[in-house]
Amino acid sequence: MIAFIDSRWADILFRAYQHTSLVVQSMILAAVIAVGLAVLVTTIRRLTPVANAVSAVGLTIPSFALLGLLLPVVGIGTVPSVVVVTFYAALPILRNAVVGLQGVDSTIIESARGQGMSGSAVFWRVRLPLSWPVIMTGIRVSAQMSMGVAAIAAYALGPGLGSYIYTGLTQVGGANAVNYAVVGTVGIIVLALLLDALLVLLSRFTTSRGIRA
Amino acid sequence: MRTTALSREDRLLLFGLPAVVLVVLAGWCLWRASADLGDIEARALAWDAVGQLALEHVLIVLVCAVLVVGCAVPLGILLTRARAGFLAPAVTAAANAGQAAPVIGVIVLLALAVGFGFWTAVLALTVYAFLPVLANTVAGLRGVDPAVIEAARGMGMSPFQVLRRVELPMALPVIMTGVRTALVLLVGAGAFATFIDAGGLGTLIQTGIIMFRHSILVSGALLVALLALLVEWTGRVMELFATPKGLA
Repeated sequence: MIAFIDSRWADILFRAYQHTSLVVQSMILAAVIAVGLAVLVTTIRRLTPVANAVSAVGLTIPSFALLGLLLPVVGIGTVPSVVVVTFYAALPILRNAVVGLQGVDSTIIESARGQGMSGSAVFWRVRLPLSWPVIMTGIRVSAQMSMGVAAIAAYALGPGLGSYIYTGLTQVGGANAVNYAVVGTVGIIVLALLLDALLVLLSRFTTSRGIRA
Repeated sequence: MRTTALSREDRLLLFGLPAVVLVVLAGWCLWRASADLGDIEARALAWDAVGQLALEHVLIVLVCAVLVVGCAVPLGILLTRARAGFLAPAVTAAANAGQAAPVIGVIVLLALAVGFGFWTAVLALTVYAFLPVLANTVAGLRGVDPAVIEAARGMGMSPFQVLRRVELPMALPVIMTGVRTALVLLVGAGAFATFIDAGGLGTLIQTGIIMFRHSILVSGALLVALLALLVEWTGRVMELFATPKGLA
């Protein structure tokens, strides 16, 4: 095992980097989409239950099935990985962003208006900062999930450590099968825990000072 | 069952889900009955072959669900008893680390360790779906108002009677939510059973990719997704019935 890791150290690091990069970039995309949608559905109240239903149903669609549905459309490689990870990453963020934005006391918004703030100033300086801790919780949930989804998406020749797991599977009986599968799986667990720790820190430093616990 | 007490989101899901599943399934059946398929597709998508795979998939999910509920609920009850409370932090830490493990990795590692086949798939998926039921059992039981438990004790109930007639009924909706989450996870992860020769609808997805036949691939993906939606809906209906009348 140690010899295996030693001889492939550069490749393992590169794949770990690819895995993280895929997850982080997809999550940034997902967060922007999800918060944008949340703003839309909390403004038009009739859409709120629809958005919640969509995020509940979306999470029930198995990632391997979504990958299968996408392959004929987008082909294999990095694109299906990005689409699948972004799709699942957006759902918990959307749900939490809706809850967070709805949780902002309407009297606070009213007093911000009363001080002469414009609509966008109210959003950037009042509603977003106040709902940020809830949104960050959603981002943490979706980060954990995205790490695993990215592993699954490697089946369609996507980037990242997931390919080590599939290599282990196809080389079953071979000398390195277990090594590949262990490095892939443990590597993803380590990355997920590291990313979660980073997000806790990020959440701490980006939360407005007035509402920090 | 009073549907008026439900939120609009619940009603959307309760009535919308089965409608979507029925329409898409009917569409797929129509396509399958009328499409002019090549030799390979026709064999892979023969009615009885697909039925057999669906049956295998459902069987894996059911066996795992019984195992998960049978192990996780008693463990959750144990962890919430005062005398076993010291165990709780260790179990929570282990469960959280386990949550970060990718399901495909768990399945492959177990298969490499104990061999391919149905029971390996069952073991891997049971481990994978354990956490939501355990977490919700603990959360549900912790959420029962201590004053209610005290009142029950004051009426002369034994600890076991309190558990069976007060705590469990009040925690049941939360536990059922965990069971529903676990069932849906199981349907999705069941698609990987085919990698370790345990069958299931994932076989169609894998065959479709290997043989480069989009019709097989999309059929498999669609059927897995429909099964997941159906299970989600069943879980929601069970949740409604599980809520004690006094709490609705």
